[in-house]
Amino acid sequence: MKRDDEKSADQVNNSNGLIVLKNITKKFGPNIVLNNVSLTIEKGKTTVVIGPSGCGKTVLIKHLILLLRPNSGEIYFKNKRIDNLNEAKLNKIRTHYGFLFQGGALFDSLTVAENIMFPIRQHYKITNSKEVEELVKAKLAMVGLDGFQNHYPANLSGGQKKRVALARAIALNPEVILYDEPTTGLDPIRADVINELILKLQRELGITTVVVTHDMTSAYKIAERIVMLHNGKIIADGDADHIHNHPHPIVQQFIKGEVGEDDLAVLRMSGTISKAQFLPRDFEQ
Amino acid sequence: MIKMIGAKTITSISNSGRFARFIWKSLVVSLQSCLKSQTYPLIWTQMNIIGVRSVPVIMITGAFVGMTLAIQTYDQLKSMGLEEHLGVLINVSVVSELGPVLAAVMLAGRIGGALTAELGTMNVTEQIDAVRSIGTDPIRYLVAPRVLACLLLTPALIIYADLLGILGGYFVSVTQKGINSQAYWTFSASAVELWDVIIGVIKGFFFGAAIASISCYKGFTCKEGAHGVGRACTEAFVASFISILAINLALAMIFKAIYNTFWPIKSLVE
Repeated sequence: MKRDDEKSADQVNNSNGLIVLKNITKKFGPNIVLNNVSLTIEKGKTTVVIGPSGCGKTVLIKHLILLLRPNSGEIYFKNKRIDNLNEAKLNKIRTHYGFLFQGGALFDSLTVAENIMFPIRQHYKITNSKEVEELVKAKLAMVGLDGFQNHYPANLSGGQKKRVALARAIALNPEVILYDEPTTGLDPIRADVINELILKLQRELGITTVVVTHDMTSAYKIAERIVMLHNGKIIADGDADHIHNHPHPIVQQFIKGEVGEDDLAVLRMSGTISKAQFLPRDFEQ
Repeated sequence: MIKMIGAKTITSISNSGRFARFIWKSLVVSLQSCLKSQTYPLIWTQMNIIGVRSVPVIMITGAFVGMTLAIQTYDQLKSMGLEEHLGVLINVSVVSELGPVLAAVMLAGRIGGALTAELGTMNVTEQIDAVRSIGTDPIRYLVAPRVLACLLLTPALIIYADLLGILGGYFVSVTQKGINSQAYWTFSASAVELWDVIIGVIKGFFFGAAIASISCYKGFTCKEGAHGVGRACTEAFVASFISILAINLALAMIFKAIYNTFWPIKSLVE
């Protein structure tokens, strides 16, 4: 069996990849967030990127749509290099994508219907407003929120916001949907609703899907391929079974959700916490 | 120490470059937006928020400026027996200097802060990234309508401030200080020229563009959190305020030079 890093290198040359990241490095000041990362996103498949908080998952997914530009490396979409394009040309490429942001990023001054109409209005000349209303209704029905057209984002729950954001993300019938932590902040039932929606869209529309998450339940449920990022590098890449049985201790620690020896050492160094520390002097008995 | 100075210098230069690029792009995109009917509803909405809703506060500012000038200068002019010339002093000051500058400062506080807070919140909640991810230029969608609304309506608001400044000065001079109404207007009309009014209005275009572009830039580059948005609002107001004063000085020098080239200096008290 090939090692994970060898596999990634092979996939860069794979012309079937819809999006290809080639030796991407991204720095913020002195911090190297992505370190020479190569990744191929295959057409029609669901790729899940896992990793601990702060490992660069969101930075990676924002590179796929060029919301962030790399310090070095190349990005290809449909075999065409896109990281060197100007914003005007990139805007045309971005219409092939849908992006679900972590917090939804719904426009709070617009209603639910206006949020979903926004991409349509921006890219198509609307002659028949009834037709657009029907389209909005259809998109909302797909996420199970038909009837919420006139609500404002402030009046929606966390799960509803994500579903509306998903309806907006699919408004232009994209070829790729990028999900940034789609289940974060939701209760297990609402999180599963989002998982089912991701599966439904992938199954019914054949959309290429990239999900960034640290929710392993979600990852196992939706992933055809799981990529693990750690300290700005890909340390594991394969299907759910491959990741489940991966020999790398950090992969095992992450998927089992166990605290590491380093973290325990830090906690031990912080000393013993006595009960008295939390009592204000005036109220001591 | 030297390393710190060097790092700060590099940061300042790169920030200035980023700001200059933002301003240039905003102006180019705003001009392009004028030709696209798709943008008109957005500009119209911003005109309502920025212009129409600012009318009361701008009128109050103008009126108080006129009234205060009348009270402050009356005694001095009376001691020289020139109290009937009070309208000259008030109206020239209001129309060419105080009206435009104080109206712009008031707008920087009312509009600049709101623009920065709105765009700053959109920035930290990833709404600006959402606009980009949809394939829309956030400068065209968010900045250009605000810049155009501010650019076009600041001169109009300055006319309101001038008008109320003149009426405020008249009210105090005639009803409180007992100056003859006809003499007040006659002297004022002989001193205030169309040139003075035009200068004030032209300044408005520059002030409006400066307030909108600085406020939008601060919103776009605002740091995360409530503290970041609050700080961006403060910086936007301070930067707008200083820009208004600097632009006013520069334009005063330019217009004075132009005036002196074509017309002789005219004494306001004859």
